Amino acid sequence: MHKSAKTAEFELTNVTPKVASRLRGSVQRKQSRFGISLVIPALLLFTLVIFYPFVRAIASAFYEDTLFLPQPMFTGLGNFRDILQSPQLINTWLRTLIFVVGSTALTLFLGLVWAVILNQPWRGNAVLRSLSLLPWILPSTVVAFLWAWLFNAQYGVINALLLRLNLIQAPVAWLSNSSGAMAAVIIAKTWATIPFFMAFFLAALQTVPKAQTEAARVDGATDLTVLRFVVLPHLRYTTVILAVLGAVNSLQHFDIIYAMTEGGPVRATTVLSLEVFKQAFQNWNMGLASAIGVVWLVTIAVPAFFYMRTIFQPHS
Amino acid sequence: MLELKHPVSKLIFWGSFALLASFIFFPLFWMLSTSFKPQGELFERLPSLLPRNFTLANYSKALTRGSLPRYLLNSFVAAGGSALFTTITACYAAFSFAKYRYWGRAPLMYLLISARMFPLALILVALFPMFGRIGLTNTYLGLILAYVVLALPAATYILYSYFVQIPSDLMEAARVDGASEMRILHTIIVPLALPALVTVALYGFIWGWNDLLFSLTLVTSESMRTIGPGLLFTYLGEFAIDWGGAMAASVITSLPIVVVFMALQRFFVQGLTAGAVKS
Repeated sequence: MHKSAKTAEFELTNVTPKVASRLRGSVQRKQSRFGISLVIPALLLFTLVIFYPFVRAIASAFYEDTLFLPQPMFTGLGNFRDILQSPQLINTWLRTLIFVVGSTALTLFLGLVWAVILNQPWRGNAVLRSLSLLPWILPSTVVAFLWAWLFNAQYGVINALLLRLNLIQAPVAWLSNSSGAMAAVIIAKTWATIPFFMAFFLAALQTVPKAQTEAARVDGATDLTVLRFVVLPHLRYTTVILAVLGAVNSLQHFDIIYAMTEGGPVRATTVLSLEVFKQAFQNWNMGLASAIGVVWLVTIAVPAFFYMRTIFQPHS
Repeated sequence: MLELKHPVSKLIFWGSFALLASFIFFPLFWMLSTSFKPQGELFERLPSLLPRNFTLANYSKALTRGSLPRYLLNSFVAAGGSALFTTITACYAAFSFAKYRYWGRAPLMYLLISARMFPLALILVALFPMFGRIGLTNTYLGLILAYVVLALPAATYILYSYFVQIPSDLMEAARVDGASEMRILHTIIVPLALPALVTVALYGFIWGWNDLLFSLTLVTSESMRTIGPGLLFTYLGEFAIDWGGAMAASVITSLPIVVVFMALQRFFVQGLTAGAVKS
């Protein structure tokens, strides 16, 4: 742009270049102003409903703010000291990690396998493709109800199946023991997220260049080698995106866990999102809730950073 | 694509197919099957796959217990309103980010798109008293505002990756013909981006329809309750849960979104996965 302006100056007489550049400037300014005006509604909403409350919540992490105090009281790092000294909250953090890593890894693996299967050209796979998106769009309370029913201790079909296969001798009370409940919520969350991952993997699989797979075939490659050395490397970008996006989403997740177990038995499935909710809206301890939220925020920031960097990096 | 010539690879392929297909589809089948079973058939140690005595009793119970029709209406208004507002605001913002240059554009875009990663429950800690003070708790508007902002980051990103692909020459040509910027957006860009706009609207609707956390917190009155908390409060916390009724209510609340989704899903998958595939 700079260059063309310069050549224009050389070519035109001494009056017109000024006029021309002023005209160009005013057109550009007008367009920029229009561009800015388009962002204003989104910006207003964002500031009012996300950014301002977000900053307020972070600020209240430094206050003692409970039902018993008439006014919030500044305590500095007091809430954070409480968090670090209580083994309960460190355990919550570790449980969150188990939930996030467990559900993300399982969803990645199963989503990929399901996508590879549905990418095969066989009759009826188009129907299966759209049907297998269903778990993802069901309301989260429905997903929670459904899996609570499947995992039901006395009449659940999972116990019935395991008994029939002689894998267990007596029914297991999945949702009332701590590791059973954690496994159940991880499986329910995985079930609800597989379709989303599958759709992304499928889209990526459809861009695997045919020439490459065919060349490998000519060289005598088996299915496994084609998969391992041609298809999977092609999916690397999508896998990275899904891994970080999945981790962020699991870290954010509240609905299915709360509706299935309410964080129990005792605290076995209380992850950070539930802990903040409980401290804020059951114990009405807003200061402590916010401080836990800040710890949570720092945890999310790690995958979030990688996600933002990956999606806005120029594709190489 | 696999060739599956070797019997072992065939076995592995169809074996994983059977396992995964049952993991994904059996729960859906079980929800339907349970919802048609009479009370007695639910409480069996080894339940039968299909109802032996088919009944609709669970459905009529589900519709009269709690106020399911009211919850459905509330969810419909909140999710529909959110879908509409999300699409409009995200469309304007994404178009601006993709096609105009001004100071602060990039940081603003990053901030807006990263907003989906701000811890939601943390935001609620401050949003709840704020909405309370300005009278937005227990209102459709409050829920809609909350849902719009939740769906906005992803919606903006989806539309942004669509708009950057539209050649700027198209706009330049319209400008030469004397069209205003507003006119270019509404008569050239919007019709071109229709599939992406449908995706985003559907995305906003699904967000609102499926939400539990926000309506659990921002709604306290029974008459404004949406389906998420509505189902939860109707069926949980009883001594023995009425699983037949719960499954029937689950089918009823899932049906609207399933129908809409199936009608529009072709656009949806395309729009959603745009930008996550390297080509």
